[in-house]
Amino acid sequence: MSDFLNYLILGITRGSMYALIALGYTLVYGVLQLINFAHSEVFMSGAFGSYLVVHAIVGNGQGVSGLGAVFVIIAGLLSGAITGAAVAFLLERVAYRPLRRRGAPKLAFLISAIGASFFLAQLFGKMFNRLGQNQFPTYFDANKVLFTIAGAPVRLLQVIIIVAALLLMFFLDRLVSGTKLGRSIRATAEDAPTAALMGVDIDRTISRTFIIGGALAGAAGFLFGTAFVFTNTMGFIPGIKAFAAAVLGGIGNIRGAMIGGLLLGIAENLIPTAPWVSTAWIGIQWTDVVAFVILILILVFRPTGILGERLGRAA
Amino acid sequence: MRSTRAGKIILPLTLAGALMLTACSNSSGGTAAGGSSSSGLGGAGNATYKIAFQGPLSGDNQQLGINEVNGVQVAIEQANKSGNLGFKLALLKADDQGSPEQAPTAAASVLQDTAVLGVVGPSFSGATKAVGPKYGDAGLTMISPSATNPTLSEQGFKTFHRIVPSDNVEGSQAADLFAKKGYKKVVVIDDLSDYGKGVADTLQAGLEKHGVKVQRIGVDAKTTDYGATATTVAAAGAQAVFYGGYDAQAAIFAKALQTAGFKGDKYTGNGGKSSVFTDGAGAAGDGWYFTCGCSDATVAPSAKEFNAAYTTAFNTPPSTYSPEAYDAANALIEAIKTAAKAGTPTRQSVNDAVNALDYKGITTTVKFDKTGEVDQSAQTVNLYTQKAGKIVLMGNIKDQG
Repeated sequence: MSDFLNYLILGITRGSMYALIALGYTLVYGVLQLINFAHSEVFMSGAFGSYLVVHAIVGNGQGVSGLGAVFVIIAGLLSGAITGAAVAFLLERVAYRPLRRRGAPKLAFLISAIGASFFLAQLFGKMFNRLGQNQFPTYFDANKVLFTIAGAPVRLLQVIIIVAALLLMFFLDRLVSGTKLGRSIRATAEDAPTAALMGVDIDRTISRTFIIGGALAGAAGFLFGTAFVFTNTMGFIPGIKAFAAAVLGGIGNIRGAMIGGLLLGIAENLIPTAPWVSTAWIGIQWTDVVAFVILILILVFRPTGILGERLGRAA
Repeated sequence: MRSTRAGKIILPLTLAGALMLTACSNSSGGTAAGGSSSSGLGGAGNATYKIAFQGPLSGDNQQLGINEVNGVQVAIEQANKSGNLGFKLALLKADDQGSPEQAPTAAASVLQDTAVLGVVGPSFSGATKAVGPKYGDAGLTMISPSATNPTLSEQGFKTFHRIVPSDNVEGSQAADLFAKKGYKKVVVIDDLSDYGKGVADTLQAGLEKHGVKVQRIGVDAKTTDYGATATTVAAAGAQAVFYGGYDAQAAIFAKALQTAGFKGDKYTGNGGKSSVFTDGAGAAGDGWYFTCGCSDATVAPSAKEFNAAYTTAFNTPPSTYSPEAYDAANALIEAIKTAAKAGTPTRQSVNDAVNALDYKGITTTVKFDKTGEVDQSAQTVNLYTQKAGKIVLMGNIKDQG
């Protein structure tokens, strides 16, 4: 039982990071009906950007008090979000807007996105390094056990990741359903030409959508880098998984992306290790296979994902 | 308009520049090669031969490659300075990033340079598998300082040699040690690479022979999240875990294992023993053991001179596989000398000389059997451990436990 819970907690932790990244895919799909394949690099840039800020504040991590650590984590989240937002904003300006202005076919956007993705990954490799194990300084005891559920320890870092992700998703939900910007995003998603006639500035709305998605991914980059390691190629696998999560929940659907992310994270931690005691089962090397088999199965039975694809309606 | 016009001028200019550059490098390469063969005929002392190094000089695994290429460079500089060569030696670096995909490109750059008479490397087993036939067909000898996958010497590569014991030796001796320590169950992890899987397989076979239970896990080397793996290890009820893979990943795994609260003994093989591991794992790496068919160049008395030269040249003491690479390069230099005595050395005559070598290096006596393995008597596996962030030698693995 405690093993099961251990894996479940790991799954929720990983899943909440997937969900944060997945939101960026889904938001952009909602307003543009295109998959932003460079989004994984926005996520990566958040890790590097927040590292610079965190490192500038705490150095190698010695002598940070409890309250100081809280401050540093918030600074890390913010700087990750700002970096991600800035990169996503530039990405839209450079790689998408010129194509949109000229009415390019959808395929051109895809190629442009892949090009931007390579460019960003290599740029960060060149600017920083290409090592496989950059780490954030240790400025708090990430492994401190806060409480245990039926013998399974829940650690500080896991709580931070889950709480931060939930808070961000809550704010996003409020933003999209309750503000003027949110209304224009929903209007654009539902019917862009009509929204434009009603006085919605489409270009600005699209740009802001990229910024919101980029901020969430950048914050996820900080959380991911703090939990594991960060590299210039770190975006690829979480990016693909988050994209899968967005499709799983229903691409274009914000709550769908949240549910899809969590579900995927939990499934890929629980299923390969089930039944948690025996060693005869398939094992961890099947993690990715499990993730994508689930995706295929759900799409076979629900082609539009769990919640269906509508940004306009499902707030 | 203006920008396109500027483009019209700049583009041809850059193209022309690029062409000139390639032309220059081509011609200089040509003269070097031509010079070596013509002056070889004349028997004068100014022929230049090249020793190539193939290994990871960039990317995730660059540290091992850098350790090695520095060792090779020290050997070449010392040989040039000694003044009794009768020719000059130069180093050609070929970066394969340690990957089988990049290795053929690196090998092609080595093979097309006709001045190259031998290769130190490739560093990694997967890369060696990818280029073994190419070097074999060209008759270009290769001496690897670190490719330890057991099957490499069974592939029929015509020019393959290595101066470290294969993972068969390392894995089976590690299994003996584990049995001696009384482990009942061991979790054996590999990173799905040729090296990692090879060492894990031999260890598993050895352990099962001793009646020790084995649980195998395979984790892709691109993984960053070892949470589930570490939790599985902690829940397995094993007395020890062995990670077969390379340093960068082993370090991340070490941290996750500490988080998961695993209490047993932790081991990794020669691929994990490096400063990349100690830097990456930090305190989580303390208490880890390393099995390695390599010797510690910072303590071995025979290696003192090498240590000094290396430290002066690179401002850092030699690390994992630096001394092996130094030995491999020196053995190759010996072979070229031997071949040069009988006339102009060719790739084939150098390879023949390598096969006949009996050279005493600082880590081992370089003497190859028919398959290119180093002589049985010279196959020593040592056990190391990390203490307070530093890797220290414990001694021959047979004396431990």
